[in-house]
Amino acid sequence: MTDRGGFAALDPCVHCGFCLQACPTFLATGDEADSPRGRIELMRAIEAGELSPDDPALVLHLDRCLGCRGCEPVCPSGVGYGRGLAAARALITSRRGVPPLARAALAALTGPGLSRVVYALARALRATGIPRWLAGWGRMRFAMGMLGATAPKVGGGRWRSVKVGGGSPPRNLHHPPPTSTTSPVLLFRGCVMQGLFSHVHDATIRTLEVNGYAVREVPEQVCCGALHEHAGLERDARALARLNVAAFGDGDEPIVVNSAGCGAMLKEYGHLLDPDAVGFAARVKDVTELLAVRGPRPGAPVDATVAYDPPCHLLHAQRIAEPPEQVLRAIPVLRLVKTPDAAQCCGSAGLFTLLEPAMSRAVLAPKLETLAETRPQVVATGNPGCLMQLGAGLAAAGIPAVARHPVELLDESYAAAGYYA
Amino acid sequence: MRLAFAFSVYYYLMPRDVASLVDTLAEIVGPRHVRTALPERVTYAKDGLPTHRRVPGVVVLPGSRDEVIAVVRLLGALGMPFVPRGAGTGLSGGALADGDAVLIVLTRLNRILKIDARNRLAVVEPGVVNVRLSVAAAPHGLQYTPDPSSQTACTIGGNVAENAGGPHCLKYGVTATHVLALEVALADGRVVELGSPGGEPWGPDLVGLFVGSEGNFGVATRIAVRLLPVARAVRTLLADFTSLRTAGEAVSAVIASGIVPAALEMMDQSCIQAVEDSVYAAGYPRDAAAVLLAELDGAHEAAVAADAETIEAVLRAHGARSVLVAADAQQREKLWLGRKKAFGAMGRLSRDLVVQDAVVPRSTLPDVLETIARIAAEYGLTVSNVFHAGDGNLHPNISFDGRTPGLRERVEAASAEIMATCIAAGGTITGEHGIGLDKLRYMPLLFDGDSLAAMRAVRHVWDPEERVNPGKVVPVHACREWAGTRNAERGTRNESPDVRSDFRVPTSALET
Ligand SMILES: Cc1cc2nc3c(=O)[nH]c(=O)nc-3n(C[C@H](O)[C@H](O)[C@H](O)COP(=O)(O)OP(=O)(O)OC[C@H]3O[C@@H](n4cnc5c(N)ncnc54)[C@H](O)[C@@H]3O)c2cc1C
Ligand code: SF4
Ligand code: SF4
Repeated sequence: MTDRGGFAALDPCVHCGFCLQACPTFLATGDEADSPRGRIELMRAIEAGELSPDDPALVLHLDRCLGCRGCEPVCPSGVGYGRGLAAARALITSRRGVPPLARAALAALTGPGLSRVVYALARALRATGIPRWLAGWGRMRFAMGMLGATAPKVGGGRWRSVKVGGGSPPRNLHHPPPTSTTSPVLLFRGCVMQGLFSHVHDATIRTLEVNGYAVREVPEQVCCGALHEHAGLERDARALARLNVAAFGDGDEPIVVNSAGCGAMLKEYGHLLDPDAVGFAARVKDVTELLAVRGPRPGAPVDATVAYDPPCHLLHAQRIAEPPEQVLRAIPVLRLVKTPDAAQCCGSAGLFTLLEPAMSRAVLAPKLETLAETRPQVVATGNPGCLMQLGAGLAAAGIPAVARHPVELLDESYAAAGYYA
Repeated sequence: MRLAFAFSVYYYLMPRDVASLVDTLAEIVGPRHVRTALPERVTYAKDGLPTHRRVPGVVVLPGSRDEVIAVVRLLGALGMPFVPRGAGTGLSGGALADGDAVLIVLTRLNRILKIDARNRLAVVEPGVVNVRLSVAAAPHGLQYTPDPSSQTACTIGGNVAENAGGPHCLKYGVTATHVLALEVALADGRVVELGSPGGEPWGPDLVGLFVGSEGNFGVATRIAVRLLPVARAVRTLLADFTSLRTAGEAVSAVIASGIVPAALEMMDQSCIQAVEDSVYAAGYPRDAAAVLLAELDGAHEAAVAADAETIEAVLRAHGARSVLVAADAQQREKLWLGRKKAFGAMGRLSRDLVVQDAVVPRSTLPDVLETIARIAAEYGLTVSNVFHAGDGNLHPNISFDGRTPGLRERVEAASAEIMATCIAAGGTITGEHGIGLDKLRYMPLLFDGDSLAAMRAVRHVWDPEERVNPGKVVPVHACREWAGTRNAERGTRNESPDVRSDFRVPTSALET
């Protein structure tokens, strides 16, 4: 690429419109300015200097982009929308700065000192059970619902493990011995995952171990920088990327991630830092990718109906479709149901749910409608933002289902099978 | 490339008038659905053929048929021009509006109002995306058959306005065959219903007249269409050829066999490369000069299998290097997806694209294809062909980098020469994409002043002031003076025969 940076990735767009129906914000408003094709026009115009990057009407529509990249895998010309957007946002931020609310949220969620306090307070509040109880629509109550949704299997018990005692086990219950080879992997912990979902990290470590991986910690690691990049703070994102590349060293052990958003960002380091980080990016693997390579080993039955809702940053950005389903299918009895609009964004999109609540809820609404019809007990998704958004949405809409990471379900199945005994 | 924003609405109207127009529109559709800021209007400056660019004065997105009608009435009262727009995938610049006009975007009118499986018809709002109707009809074993390659994006309203075709229209007919009835908001806001539940006209076939009118006759606000059963037996064949000429000859041979394939499509080598490089890679042989995609369908397995065997033999006898029969529904879908997304993959060849659309007598295909290749070579341009071969409906696409000085002019000249070739072969200048803005300049090559004036007179029956989608289809300057059209300037009504207003039909097909 030239000095045009990410903008060059937009060049192949021939304006065919095939991406329109894949875009959640276009489906919500029907407005070309809220579509990938329209936004590409806006980005091209700011690159060419024909429109000003601080024009409020332009910024409105680029801010309203979820960055979900649902437009990428459908594009026959292979337009690199995400890269163009990062370049455009960097340009916009260089003009108008980061809006105060976004800056505050960034500091609270990723700031090394402050975030620790924020997460501690959040966990304390979560432990009272109040957030779950307050969950609903409206800015405050939705935020409460999001926090409530991070709790490790509370309000659970809606699905249960089936005891396999006596009798002959169900047919799909064969237990191959654990893989004898153990391969080392390094765990990426992240900010929100570490602050509010440490139970998912625990499940990740346990289930990987059952499948022959030895998980090692990397103490010097920092935030992946995805939220910074979304906010147009490319320089900060690059600085974080450098720290991570140094922290994980130049061994060849896979780097395991259980947050789709972080995973997508880490895999982009090659582009962000150019040649230095290509090797690093190639080592990054989603936890379900590693598990799928080994089967994964089946566990004990879990009697639950599960709708898998792929995070955009897994399906569209990393193009990982099969492995999470493979993980869920390794759980006997579990019924995996497909919803027609599963591949569409839930409206979480990093800070989007906080910064653009109206559009975020509009994008979430059709998904909740299908889930209300499908009536799963669990909605499985592998990204903290999606877990919170879907959890809060389900609670607000009064749908009796909870949001869970796929490895949590596998972990439960393994626990019931006695693998951890 | 500098934007020519000079044609902004503000130059046409006093600011106070603009403000009151915008306020009144906002009262009708809600302030969120009126777009006046420049960046927002800029996103509507192009359709699927981005070589044309016009920035509309105001963009309005009504949410219901009543809102559309109210907006059209208001603009009628103000004497303001307006342009209906669907998904903006049109390939002739048809859905573009100038700075003095209001663009009425119909994407929010996306409800399927009725599916009547017993009578095999559906009633839809104009903004329904083509493929969504087929998806909704599938549980009844039915489908909406016209399948333009853009079907995952384009709207049924846009299909009606362009009389869209598609691969399967070879056997089943283009959009016009499938539209039963229409509700249309005329330029002055009057609403007329055309057609009948059975599709037969009550009088003259006004539905037939409206379909393909390219947004010149009013806004379709409701559309009743025919649904057909999904074929029970299907065979899809992929034949590859080492020369474009043999492939062209094989097309005529297939048709001459007496079997009407459901579809018969051709793609040439550069098109195959673009598709195979994309996420829609279908497994077309990259070294083939051209491939033909043929489909046979019907109600009986045995009959379709026999037809497929015949066609396979014909293809082999006429030079096919190999013929692949899709093994299952999955492979069939892949073969079709590759074909249907081919235009969209052209961005892989170069950043700019001119899509052409012409029809030639099928028997002339081999010669015309060769001449096109020669023109491309003479101008030093990349031309790729992907088209509805069974209909003789060509789509030569020119890929180029518009930043290269002088190249646009060369592309223009080559396009004109290709069009002239098609006309000389006894063809015409559009098969399905319409005249819009792009083909205006070719109209005088086909029609004399009297004929053009006759077209204009027909338009005046619907829209005497030429306010709906002005400046498209008929090159006004080339029209001979035509009785009754003398006072056709804006604002003066002429004496052309008036369509009966509030045209009433004995039984409505549009009621839901
Ligand atoms: C990749 C690609 C492939 C294509 N393949 C095909 C193909 O196989 N066959 C084919 O025929 N076309 C094809 N097209 C062209 C295009 O998709 C069709 O012309 C389609 O019908 C346009 O629909 P639209 O909703 O996008 O209309 P628009 O582009 O928005 O509008 C087209 C015209 O219709 C008018 N219009 C729109 N809605 C209404 C309404 N409700 N009432 C009155 N007038 C209205 C507009 O004023 C305009 O003149 C293709 C285009 C692309 C980009
Ligand atoms: S699908 Fe790709 S080429 Fe087509 S409009 Fe969207 S981004 Fe552009
Ligand atoms: S990233 Fe998502 S929201 Fe943004 S344009 Fe693409 S599909 Fe639409």
